[in-house]
Amino acid sequence: MFEIIGERINGLFLDIREAIANKDPKPVRDWAVKQAQAGAYWLDVNTGPIASKEEQAEVMAWLVKTAQEAVELPCCIDTTNVLAMEEGLKVHKGKAMINSTTAEQAKMDALFPLAANYGAAIVALTMNEKGVPKSAEDRIALAMELVANADAYGIPMPDLYIDPLVLPVNVAQEHGPEVLEALRQVKLLANPAPKTTCGLSNISQKAPNRPLINRTFLAMAMVCGLDSAVMDACDDELVDTAATASIILNQSIYCDSYLKIFRQK
Amino acid sequence: MGLTGLEIFKQLPKKNCKECGQPTCLAFAMQLAAGKASLDACPYVSDAAREALDAASAPPVALVKIGVGEKAFQIGNETVLFRHDKRFEHPTGIAIQVSDNEDVKAKVDQINKLVFDRVGQVHEVNMVAVSNDSGDAAKFADAVKTAQDNTSYPLLLISSDTGAMEKALEIAGANKPVVYAADANNYEAMVALAKKYEAPLVVKGSDLNSLAELVEKVAGLGYKNLILDSGAREFSKVVADQTQIRRQALKLFRPFGYPTIAFANNDDPIMESVNASTYVAKYAGIVVMTSAAPEHILPVITLRLNVYTDPQKPIAVESKIYEILNPGPDAPVLITTNFSLSYFCVAGDTEASRVPAYIIPVDTDGISVLTAWAAGKFTPETIADTVKKLGILEKVNHNSIIIPGGVAVLSGKTAELLGAEVIVGPRESAGIPSFFKQRWLNK
Amino acid sequence: MAVTIAKERWTSKVAEMTLGPNGLKVGGETTLPFLHFEGEMPNRPVTALEVFDMEPQDWPDILKEPFADVLSDPVAWAKKIVEYGADMVALRLMSAHPDWKDASADEVAKTAKAVAEAIDVPLIVLGCGVEEKDGQILPVVAEALEGKRCLIGCATAENYKSITAASNAYGHSVIASSPLDINLCKQLNILITEMGLSLDRIAFDPLVGALGYGIEYAYSIMERARMGALTGDKMLATPIVCFVGMEAWKAKEAKDPDVPEWGPQADRAILWEVTTATTFAIAGGTIFILRHPESVKRFNAFINEAMKSNAY
Ligand code: SF4
Repeated sequence: MFEIIGERINGLFLDIREAIANKDPKPVRDWAVKQAQAGAYWLDVNTGPIASKEEQAEVMAWLVKTAQEAVELPCCIDTTNVLAMEEGLKVHKGKAMINSTTAEQAKMDALFPLAANYGAAIVALTMNEKGVPKSAEDRIALAMELVANADAYGIPMPDLYIDPLVLPVNVAQEHGPEVLEALRQVKLLANPAPKTTCGLSNISQKAPNRPLINRTFLAMAMVCGLDSAVMDACDDELVDTAATASIILNQSIYCDSYLKIFRQK
Repeated sequence: MGLTGLEIFKQLPKKNCKECGQPTCLAFAMQLAAGKASLDACPYVSDAAREALDAASAPPVALVKIGVGEKAFQIGNETVLFRHDKRFEHPTGIAIQVSDNEDVKAKVDQINKLVFDRVGQVHEVNMVAVSNDSGDAAKFADAVKTAQDNTSYPLLLISSDTGAMEKALEIAGANKPVVYAADANNYEAMVALAKKYEAPLVVKGSDLNSLAELVEKVAGLGYKNLILDSGAREFSKVVADQTQIRRQALKLFRPFGYPTIAFANNDDPIMESVNASTYVAKYAGIVVMTSAAPEHILPVITLRLNVYTDPQKPIAVESKIYEILNPGPDAPVLITTNFSLSYFCVAGDTEASRVPAYIIPVDTDGISVLTAWAAGKFTPETIADTVKKLGILEKVNHNSIIIPGGVAVLSGKTAELLGAEVIVGPRESAGIPSFFKQRWLNK
Repeated sequence: MAVTIAKERWTSKVAEMTLGPNGLKVGGETTLPFLHFEGEMPNRPVTALEVFDMEPQDWPDILKEPFADVLSDPVAWAKKIVEYGADMVALRLMSAHPDWKDASADEVAKTAKAVAEAIDVPLIVLGCGVEEKDGQILPVVAEALEGKRCLIGCATAENYKSITAASNAYGHSVIASSPLDINLCKQLNILITEMGLSLDRIAFDPLVGALGYGIEYAYSIMERARMGALTGDKMLATPIVCFVGMEAWKAKEAKDPDVPEWGPQADRAILWEVTTATTFAIAGGTIFILRHPESVKRFNAFINEAMKSNAY
């Protein structure tokens, strides 16, 4: 089943930033409920930029708790601050998702054990200290390192979400086919295969017709094996596209009400 | 099925010495998985790893051939856990067991009669299992000889005594019987015997662990023409073990990459039959029973036929006149398609109505009424042709046929082509009894 | 060599339904049938035997014999069924059929009430099979049986509204029946839940075929539905009703007393009904509506074995 990771609880959005500043739980709760109803499977939770690491950790814990008070969904804890990650994991109910590690050895050695300890899923980006590779082949080589390291840390493959890194089509057009090919090949790395995810709206950064680009890419990526995406769960047409692609790919059993059923958990 | 990068990587020495021309073992594993490199490029791969990697490219469940001649059959080569995922490939072989303590000839004669006709096809059991219950090698050899002389089915030889097995194989070995079984105590001798005759060998464990261990030992002796018995005899354990063996085989756990045998043997023939049916559906390559009575075997054979049909290929019945309840000249003529399920529904509901009738399935390549209509295979022309060809209207005195309600639109043209009355019947076969009551009998 | 047991990580489960005055529970499994080594099957598959509210016209002698003295008395018949050890009684309101007596809703409701009062096991009430008529009589029956926690059917895409509304109002569960099509089964379950009946009060009926007569279609529907149920497809995660008796006893192999090459009828007929039932049990069937008491006995013996632990 395709897993929508709702992107809206993020300090980059003004209302969430204000909520964090005022310790006002209402906007966080509202977005949690709204995204859940719209069909989100995970709630991405991101504090936005906060200077102090300790303060960021505290805010992350508050966001996770607040979101989970409103709905029963698990959170995708989205931060590069390991302290904030751990505070988020500590207060999280159920299986969390760590967002994210890269193929840099130091990061993998910090985050995979954390995922293993908390029984959490983890997003793993196909990039390292050298940046984002262009070719599918190089992305897959990094994915393989992620797979081998995750396996060595005892993380079950279905808990590993490889993100081949989607770049904006208006400036990095040549990455498009490479990302799609990488999605295909990730499934051949291990058996059972790792899952895949991506930051969907990157594809349409600063381009016109953003919703159209997003949903076209989503359908194409799902054919190649995309299992989940950080995306706008409240874009109805986008979610309809995911539902329809998932039916066509025979991922769930068809019924006339499939658009509605897709949104129910 | 190819190996994944991770599976290959796990077998590599992880020295990252670059001698293979790749920067790391991981990169080399990826190249191998993509088929762009050969394992030979790494000088440090152990023999065990090499073997594991070789074996992994074999099919998940080995194909095993049993017997010779007309009644020879194959088991294995399965690729799924659920028939809806693709299909089950080779129907379970049904073996009926006869003891060397009983009148072998009499039972074999009974077994030979277990041949059933079902909508034009013959279905039968596949093997005679001779068991050395007497513990006497000579008696076993006699029983095997009697069985072989009186049946053309392949044999399954059951004895843990290698001496007895040797004698039996001297008689039956040329016909490639299944040798049952190599266990922890006798496996070396049993493997030697099976090898000599190139006969399939059952490897019998006392649980899954000991089975896997023994298969490794037998494979180590160079014999891979194998069938697995986990030793389980309690029903729920058999179901669990059969499921595990199939799951593991599909995950390419090599010791379990062979077809299985399951014993339904039970003093209560009804339990035996029901359990055997379950084993047929739940992955057994061979199922052994002791009853040779048709009432106990027919259900198992029928279920095998049903479960092993290809879900992607509709099954067709022959297009001919089917007579339900001895119809006379005034009996109605029902038209349907030769999709087996359509036919069976119409036949079943006609019987339930207790109105004798003729059923004419039109050849639509085995697809259902509405699909066939949409595909242009169930048309006024095909209906009229079939009715004329089979001459059904000469058998009745009313010059009329009944077509399914779903294709009412075909009635006019069909009537024209046929010069007969075309009555529109119910949409679903379940409506047949009341249709007959309201529309036919009052006519 | 230690074998690592392959266990699936199922994420979901089948809804659990509670029926009757004795609170009989069905469903609730967290794994595929009888794979106790990786999940729970908290309730065993259950049986019901059928009672007709008028003497059945097309039953073979072998089927009539165990009920010979009660065939025209549904209450006595129902009691006999309980004695025979069935978990439930399935009352079929045949007399309401326009081709038979065309009995009114009030008439059949009276019979249903009398039967329910006479037994302490759950009652399944089945209409006459004519969708329109069932849509009229079953709501009246549901009202008459208020509080008895019956299972009422069959609701189809044509008549589910009145049956669901009444079942919901009077505390019953419903059988949702769709012809051999998993997509329609799912859709009907959805339509019924949209009327406010919760999933643990729906059992679906895929219209099974008997052994030799298309059994494999419903078999695969059940396997697919169970896979779906365990991986999160809630709308198919309900108990499954299998009308085994009705179908198996249409088969020549069960009905025909005299076909020498098939062996004597006694074992053959029972095996036809029991094998049809056990085959659906291993595919995920939950409630088995049978006709012969010997089949209940045999089916239960099978389930006893199948429910034994197979943990590793
Ligand atoms: S030669 Fe073998 S050990 Fe050396 S890097 Fe290549 S694969 Fe690894």
